[in-house]
Amino acid sequence: MKRAITLGAIAIFLTIASIWMGKASYSWFPPQASAEAILYDDLFSILTAIGTFIFLGVTLAIVFNIIFYRAGRYDTSDGLPIEGNIRLEILWTVTPLLIVIGLATASYQTYDKMNLHGPTEIASLPQVIEPAYADTGIIAEPMTNVEVDSKQWAWVFRYPEKNVTSTELHLPVNQRAHFQLRSQDVIHGFYIPAFRVKQDIIPAKTIDFEFTPILEGKYRLRDSQYSGTYFAAMQADVVVESPEDYQAWLTKAAKQTPTPAPNQAASEYARRQQKEDSAGWKTVVPAPAPMVNYHS
Amino acid sequence: MTTTTPQDLIPKTPPNWRKYFSFSTDHKVIGIQYIVTAFFFFLLAGVFAMIMRGELITPEPDLLDRTVYNGLYTMHGTIMLFGWTFPVLSGFANYLVPLMIGARDMAFPRLNAAAFWMIPVVGILFILSFLVPGGPAQSGWWAYPPQSLQNPTGNLINGQFIWLLAVAISGVSSIMGALNIVTTIIRMRAPGMGWFKTPAFVWTVLAAQLIQLYGLPALTAGAVMLLCDLSVGTAFFDPAQGGNPVLFQHFFWFYSHPAVYVMVLPVFGIFSEVFPVYARKPLFGYKIVAVSSLIITGLSGIVWVHHMFASGTPGWMRVVFMASTMLISVPSGIKVFAWVGTIWGGKLRLDTSMLFAMGGLINFVFAGITGIMLSSVPIDIHVNNTYFVVGHFHYVLYGTITFGIYAGIYHWFPKMTGKMYYEGLGKLHFYLTIAGTALNFLPMHPVGLMGMPRRVASYDPEFAFWNVLASLGAFLLGISTIPFLLNMVSSWISGKEAGNNPWRAIGIEWLVSSPPEHENFEEIPIVIAEPYGYGKDEKLTENMG
Amino acid sequence: MTDSTITDKELHLEHEEDNRMWGFSIILLSESVIFLSFFAGYIVYKTTAVNWLPPGVSGLEIREPAINTIILVSSSFVIYIAERFLHKENIWGFRIFWLLTMAMGSYFLYGQAVEWMGLEFGFTSGVFGGVFYLLTGFHGLHVLTGVLLQAIMLIRSFIPGNYAGGEFGVESTSLFWHFVDVIWIVLFVLIYVWQ
Ligand code: HEA
Ligand code: HEA
Ligand code: CUA
Ligand SMILES: [Cu+2]
Repeated sequence: MKRAITLGAIAIFLTIASIWMGKASYSWFPPQASAEAILYDDLFSILTAIGTFIFLGVTLAIVFNIIFYRAGRYDTSDGLPIEGNIRLEILWTVTPLLIVIGLATASYQTYDKMNLHGPTEIASLPQVIEPAYADTGIIAEPMTNVEVDSKQWAWVFRYPEKNVTSTELHLPVNQRAHFQLRSQDVIHGFYIPAFRVKQDIIPAKTIDFEFTPILEGKYRLRDSQYSGTYFAAMQADVVVESPEDYQAWLTKAAKQTPTPAPNQAASEYARRQQKEDSAGWKTVVPAPAPMVNYHS
Repeated sequence: MTTTTPQDLIPKTPPNWRKYFSFSTDHKVIGIQYIVTAFFFFLLAGVFAMIMRGELITPEPDLLDRTVYNGLYTMHGTIMLFGWTFPVLSGFANYLVPLMIGARDMAFPRLNAAAFWMIPVVGILFILSFLVPGGPAQSGWWAYPPQSLQNPTGNLINGQFIWLLAVAISGVSSIMGALNIVTTIIRMRAPGMGWFKTPAFVWTVLAAQLIQLYGLPALTAGAVMLLCDLSVGTAFFDPAQGGNPVLFQHFFWFYSHPAVYVMVLPVFGIFSEVFPVYARKPLFGYKIVAVSSLIITGLSGIVWVHHMFASGTPGWMRVVFMASTMLISVPSGIKVFAWVGTIWGGKLRLDTSMLFAMGGLINFVFAGITGIMLSSVPIDIHVNNTYFVVGHFHYVLYGTITFGIYAGIYHWFPKMTGKMYYEGLGKLHFYLTIAGTALNFLPMHPVGLMGMPRRVASYDPEFAFWNVLASLGAFLLGISTIPFLLNMVSSWISGKEAGNNPWRAIGIEWLVSSPPEHENFEEIPIVIAEPYGYGKDEKLTENMG
Repeated sequence: MTDSTITDKELHLEHEEDNRMWGFSIILLSESVIFLSFFAGYIVYKTTAVNWLPPGVSGLEIREPAINTIILVSSSFVIYIAERFLHKENIWGFRIFWLLTMAMGSYFLYGQAVEWMGLEFGFTSGVFGGVFYLLTGFHGLHVLTGVLLQAIMLIRSFIPGNYAGGEFGVESTSLFWHFVDVIWIVLFVLIYVWQ
């Protein structure tokens, strides 16, 4: 009886702690700037709660034994020779199995809802669940279309309708955006943490990618697949703005003649060449700064 | 408290330091050669890590040139894996397996020595690669093409070339070792030692080495093709010539995912040996723990694409490999719960190796949970290639494997050297290490969730706070090795005599003298009991006690 | 598992002898994974490459390689006969058939060299050139190793009394030879038949 109460109390404590951690997990992320981010954070919260439960459960069990089952200083006796317990062993085989089946199902649903596309050769998954952008007043058609060109070490975004190129990614809010990702040399990674999306870009291929920005603001796009010396500097700004501002920006940019954009890799490399006693090793030379209609 | 008689305290052969620098075929000498050499590489790669953390203490790339940072992190990862974890665990397998199964040596003693002597060669190649023009390899331990093929110096002998060469030699050494260990375990167990009388450590070593045999050849195939691309100019992985860089990723991870279980399985074995001794209880569910190792071996071969979720991987493949990956938590959970069951209600003694084993267990559960998070495709899409992953794998590679190795070193140190280590220094080492691990690797998780990519020498100022913490933790970990080194060196030279069995442990290795004689056994033991008879007062063997 | 009389120190070395065949078979299994990986790579390239054959190349001639295949595959039977002779302690029968195996293996290598000379594409001609030479070359290296091993065994057969009690070297060389044959059959189907 006393044991049951203790166990019950522990279970309640674990549950509360887990739910609390699950709630807290929302604060660990950048802003939820895309429809996909909302789905993501919900799934992550569930995983955090379950993970906390398992982790604290095991840790508390160990700590409990450290406190209550220490051998005395001169106690050389052995514990009870318990070699196993079939029922317990089955229980702790089946329970994790059920948990991961649940996790896999939930993850699959979330992934399906995100509907990111990505490489879809050979066969693609059937779209079973309504995509996330269908939920609220988000416009799926027409999509914003952007071609993304990556090279060592620069991003260039091209808007085919107006034939505009830019080193800053502009997107209208609440409208599904479609990207065609390309690389000129090595593998790069298209990654915007505020949107919780990422896709490696494989050279000599065009990869389709989609997501839905829902929060106006300025975010950071980072290269996520290591691409050599100036990898860390391969970043760009992302501006999500109202459709009106977006159109105004596009029209204005279309009128500007292309100029070379500032490029951190190129300028760092130039500085390094001037220093005679450079401590570094020989590196792949950065591609020249891109010529674009618009840069920040 | 021990059952030793005064006679067997005196080692029958006087210690001879020179044998450790010779081409010895004694598995015990080779075992110690492996462990000591590997620890040297651990310190070296650890120094690299501390320099890297020095760079990362500020957001700007100020301490090191970017190429130097990239070379350091590449060599840090590579040396930690191919110079530290693999060899040190080969050392444990070499030293312990014949003793635990009642054999006089390994199946192929000369092959064994040859496999060991390749390791210093590998290490020297890694170090020499810092001296070639263009510096060492700078494309991470994955060496993904086409980036790894770029070779800005144009020289035939370049860092990437030497890197591939060294990794290939290390692969040959591992295959030779695996062949030897697998044959030894299957063919040379003492009379009476059926599979379910074989210690759990031996099971895990077998499971791990089977992975080497089926996995390493795939990496070899990929490495040969990469080498041809790099040196001869073939088109296999070069997209500019119609090659397929994603195929390399498949070859690489087909081995390198299972490789993480090659490393962690023997550590599971160490846990399974340590917990019963210091909890004074039999290993809970010994049989299912033993068999779950082989289940892990099997499953580990069908999950590799979880490292490529964000790569050129189609959706159906992502989902299939998510499901297979998640299944691994079942056999892992069996082990974790069995260890907790072993401790449960025992008579716990918190000697240093027990502390390291329990710390390692807790770290493993933590890392396993972040691993399960990573295996969920949508979750991984955001955190892939961020510090969240770096946090996950250091919790296993440092928090679990290195902890487990420390547990193993403290546990078998008296057997290997005949001397006791100093418990106080050991405890100090443990507390510094566990604090350093948390301070170093915990902050990597939040900063990864915020979106800090890995493999960067500079980062946005918003990430600075967590990076400062991590760097302090790294320096603390560096400091933590000092009491360990002091302890090992001074007690090996002038520690108390340990006797055959200072822990009153059950196991054939504890029935022979410390250190064991050249051929281990006067008379081959005849095994009559299961390996973990704590609290049962039964004889383990018919003829030795 | 082993019987309990093995307590003699001297038996230790003999143990190593027993285990060698085991070890060798494990190595061959492991080695086969390298070939499997190359085959898998070949299939991926063949099914996904945009420009599979290098410009100007229309396909591979199958006639000569087919003859080569027949010779290599039949040599597996010849080496088996040689082994039977050794079992019956007919050392000259062994030597003759063993030498015949070597000749057949050498002819295969020669045939392959002739084929290579006549091809208008090289190792660096796109992925097709790469995998073609990689697969045939890596296999050819194994055939060469096999022939060299056979030569060593042949020479050792002249040491008096050497093969009295069966011989690990002969058995393992022969196993290796069968392995090289089986690999070739798969390779032949992949590269020449499936065009
Ligand atoms: C020894 C090392 C080791 C071990 C044991 C593991 C174990 C696991 N790892 Fe980890 N991993 C690495 C080393 C290791 N990993 C390394 C080195 C990398 C990065 C390489 C690189 O990129 O450089 C990596 C990267 C990595 C990735 C890729 C991330 C990315 O790059 O985007 C993924 C994704 O799925 C993953 C998953 C897992 C899983 C599911 C396990 C599982 O095996 C964990 C199973 C264990 C548990 C789950 C805990 C115990 C179980 C219970 C208590 C039962 C109850 C639990 C549940 C029901 C969930 N790991
Ligand atoms: C077993 C494997 C292992 C171990 C133990 C470690 C240990 C450590 N690792 Fe490492 N790490 C990897 C394997 C490992 N790592 C791998 C595989 C990668 C991926 C590489 C890649 O991306 O390609 C990686 C990447 C990696 C990164 C990411 C780099 C990047 O992406 O940019 C970082 C950053 O902080 C890091 C830090 C550390 C630190 C601080 C330690 C600390 O634990 C180290 C503690 C320090 C010491 C132990 C040194 C002690 C030495 C002395 C005190 C000097 C005494 C000297 C004498 C007596 C001669 N590691
Ligand atoms: Cu740029 Cu990766
Ligand atoms: Cu993995």
